[in-house]
Amino acid sequence: MKELEKTKRISIAAVLFILAVIIGLLTYKRPKNTYAINTKSTLEKLTSENYLVALNELNNPDYVLIDIRNQYDFDKGHLENAINVYAAEILSEDNIKVFEELKENNKTAVLYGNNPQEPNAPFLILYQLGYENIKLLAIENSYLQNKLITKNSEIEKSETDVTAFINESIKKANTAPIVKVVVAPPKKVITVEKKKKAPAEGGC
Amino acid sequence: MVKKKIAKVLAFRYKILAAILILLAGGLVLLPKYQKHEGIKPEELLSNSISPERYMTTDRLAHIIINQDPSFILIDVRDEKSFASYTLPNAINIPLEKLFDEGSDNYLNQNQYDVVLFSNDNFYADQAWILCNRLGYKHMRVLKGGINEWFTTIINPLKPADNMPATDFELYATRKAASMFFGVVYPEQVKVEAPKIVKKVAPKKVITIEKKKKAPAEGGC
Repeated sequence: MKELEKTKRISIAAVLFILAVIIGLLTYKRPKNTYAINTKSTLEKLTSENYLVALNELNNPDYVLIDIRNQYDFDKGHLENAINVYAAEILSEDNIKVFEELKENNKTAVLYGNNPQEPNAPFLILYQLGYENIKLLAIENSYLQNKLITKNSEIEKSETDVTAFINESIKKANTAPIVKVVVAPPKKVITVEKKKKAPAEGGC
Repeated sequence: MVKKKIAKVLAFRYKILAAILILLAGGLVLLPKYQKHEGIKPEELLSNSISPERYMTTDRLAHIIINQDPSFILIDVRDEKSFASYTLPNAINIPLEKLFDEGSDNYLNQNQYDVVLFSNDNFYADQAWILCNRLGYKHMRVLKGGINEWFTTIINPLKPADNMPATDFELYATRKAASMFFGVVYPEQVKVEAPKIVKKVAPKKVITIEKKKKAPAEGGC
């Protein structure tokens, strides 16, 4: 009798356990976008591969231009044959499909924005999602009389040597001070004079 | 006969249950595939990295450095050569490719300090920030415009034209004062500074002597 009760309990527990597992599996939703590489290998690839494209390299037939600016900027002016995929919506189903298709057709998506920093985040995120067919166009866009002007822009270029500038400023300034320092001592003498005045007044 | 068979099977019932559990546990072996999926969701990462919240202006950073705020760490993600030629005061050099090397974790993944990443512009610093953000590192900031912006605003501020608003002149004055703090010397600054140093040294001694002499003299009356 006792043995029977035991088996009953165990079987009930087993059924419940299996049910829980089945329900868990059924309700488990695979996330839509998953990373394909971890941060460490992303960093390795990022620092070893060349992902930058300059303007004059654009005539490669495998390149498909993707404009990550918003619709307004895109309508105002964009590079020839560019597709508009706004940066904030780059992971939406439709847009992911675009990148998926490009990957299948062995084309390379070249992202660009108003400056090279703008497409940096979308680029890096898609890169981590496993789209290796992605490059970044290093350009700077500006408008002149409502016309889009595009020019190459160098990334992480050191524009000025700050140390040299500071040293130069010290050098320039140092030509004058020698005279000024000489002027200073007489003031000491003046203060000494004041000393003598003070006790004289007190003595009265 | 049937009963006997059932009894035989039932004798193993615990073993069978255990075997099922072990099989299920074996499923965990398949999970390491998802280790690649470390960090926050891609959607979250995208919204984080598109928001300009992480940027810190050069003026704010100059203020922090001048006030010697101890809650900030500056990290230079450029290579060693650029780091050696010029960097911000007290900055630590972690080149981008060494971001996840041993040792840098102590600076990046902590809750005590605010970390400010910078490079020549903010391209590499942004990349470092995005990778760190994916791992959930908190309190990370990026210097907007990097060293180039730092030079044009703080080290060599542009003098406003006469017709510009007063706020521009105020900004210029603070930036100029900041640039002096960071080692830039202006020709007119020397004129002002040289007598200042003399004044500082001389009066202090004089004043104390004067007071002493005054007090007994007055008392004598």
